Amino acid sequence: MRRLAFLALLLLALAVGLVFAGRVGLGPLVITREGDQQLILFLGSPQRVTEPGPALRWPFVETAESYSRRWLNLNAKPDTILTADGEQLIVDSYAIWRIRDPKEFKRTFPSGIEAAETGIDRSVRDDVREVLGRHTLEQVLDSQRAEIMREITARTQAKVGGFGIEVADVRINRTELPTGAEESVYARMKTERERLGRKNRAEGDERARRIRAEADREATVIVANARRDAEIARGEGEALAARIYAEAYGGDAEFYAFVRSLEAYRIAVDEDTTLVLSPHAEFFRFLESSTPPPRPGR
Amino acid sequence: MADPARTSADERVRRSVGRRLRSAVVALALLVALSAWVWRGWSFTLRPGEAAVLLLFGRHVETITREGFHVRLPAPFLERYVVRVRELRTEDFGLHAGGGEETPAELHEATMQTSDNNIVRVSFTVQYTVKDPFEAGFHLEDPAGVVRDAAQAAMREVVGHTTVDGVLREKKALVTAEAARRLQEILDAYGAGLDVAQVQLQGVQPPAEVRAAFDDVVAANQDASRLVNEAEGHRNEVVPKARAEAAEVLAQAQGFREAKVAEATGAATRFRAIAAEYRLAPEVTRERLYLETMEEVLPRVEKVIVEPGAASLVPTLPIGRGREPRP
Repeated sequence: MRRLAFLALLLLALAVGLVFAGRVGLGPLVITREGDQQLILFLGSPQRVTEPGPALRWPFVETAESYSRRWLNLNAKPDTILTADGEQLIVDSYAIWRIRDPKEFKRTFPSGIEAAETGIDRSVRDDVREVLGRHTLEQVLDSQRAEIMREITARTQAKVGGFGIEVADVRINRTELPTGAEESVYARMKTERERLGRKNRAEGDERARRIRAEADREATVIVANARRDAEIARGEGEALAARIYAEAYGGDAEFYAFVRSLEAYRIAVDEDTTLVLSPHAEFFRFLESSTPPPRPGR
Repeated sequence: MADPARTSADERVRRSVGRRLRSAVVALALLVALSAWVWRGWSFTLRPGEAAVLLLFGRHVETITREGFHVRLPAPFLERYVVRVRELRTEDFGLHAGGGEETPAELHEATMQTSDNNIVRVSFTVQYTVKDPFEAGFHLEDPAGVVRDAAQAAMREVVGHTTVDGVLREKKALVTAEAARRLQEILDAYGAGLDVAQVQLQGVQPPAEVRAAFDDVVAANQDASRLVNEAEGHRNEVVPKARAEAAEVLAQAQGFREAKVAEATGAATRFRAIAAEYRLAPEVTRERLYLETMEEVLPRVEKVIVEPGAASLVPTLPIGRGREPRP
């Protein structure tokens, strides 16, 4: 019983020891962590690459070198390029890459990551220059940006893929105009703004004047319509009055003439009037005799 | 004789007891060490917002996102990496830190080109969290650096598709939403295991060199709307005034109409009344009316009574006599 427990403890200690030794690169056990890969070399010559997890090797004759398997980001140096339409552009790009095959990688870049980065940087800049040189500024900035990036990525991958490197993405993250070109863009922006300002002012004026004119028109029409209706109402009044008069007087036209004449005399004949009367006028018929002469025809 | 034997027996007993004691102490120590190892190594607690990535002999076997107490194999067999999943990570771009002038580096980071080949200065913030703890921890060498690079690429791409007016005013919300979407796409393509929570524009401005011109356009727009407002004010004044005038004119005409009718009705009624009387006694009424009128008219006037046929007198009549001397 005691012996068994002792044995178990011993085995455990052995296992722990092996794993610890494997972690620091000793013993027959090779532990590869996620995000890493190990190149196993037999007396210095590359043999095989490990996946994450445990692996075995011959102690002492086989050694393991660790390489990252993670995606690395490389910022390419800013570069001045010339687009197809002759515009200068300062381009800043980055590449996402990783070591796909440590065997190839070690062969090409024995001194390690930094050499690889220098190589990728140069390749990316060449490709960016090459591809952008075939496109216009407008295509680079707007209409064909995605295609351009894909093309650069494919070219870079084709160029460095043989060196045990995988390039997932090359992307332009900054484009900038050189100082001189920037000044001319500012000048153009300024004139554009001025044009826009004038246009907006003029359009505002246009709308305002339209509104005013329309309002004045409406007002004029309202008044004119009212005047028309007023004239109609006046006419109606007069017509109605005429009808009332006609109806009243029509029944007794002769008497109306008489009464209305008397009324008219009353108004028309004033102090400035000189009447030349005949003694035979009806008014005077009793002036010369009290018996009424025959009435003059009225 | 017996003494040495006894001593040796005592010695043996003592020795065996000591040996047992020693091994018991060793066993106990081992037990304590083992249980401490088991307790410390085999169990762990995840706080809210934490996740653990577990690697068995270096290989990813499990990701625990449930918070609380967990029991698993200890190190060195199973390694644990605890990631704060819900922590909001922030990256600023082109943000002007501190007072004074922007540094050239800040200006560079903020300067972008629009689709109509204008230059704007855009500063923004990206907030992101961990979506997949394993991917976030083991796929990228420098997740924050990748976020920085990709976010700039995404924002420049979106701004490059937008006009300067869109970026400055009309489409700000669209720009941030689109940049967030693009950034998420790019990060997903890298298997970054990160989740873009938000892209926020901190400041969008035309470059200082042309700011005055942009301000002038804003002023022009204000001028334009002022003109329009004034015109609308004019309309609001003129039209009611016209309506008021119309109402006046109409009311006057109505008044005129009613007055005319009333007058006519009055006159007609009066006439009818007189005519009715007249019909009762035509001769007398007629005579009376006539004489009453004459009575009223004749005293006022100059009267010349002439025998008909005495026409020769006419030229000597003092016609108009009364008019001249009047003041």
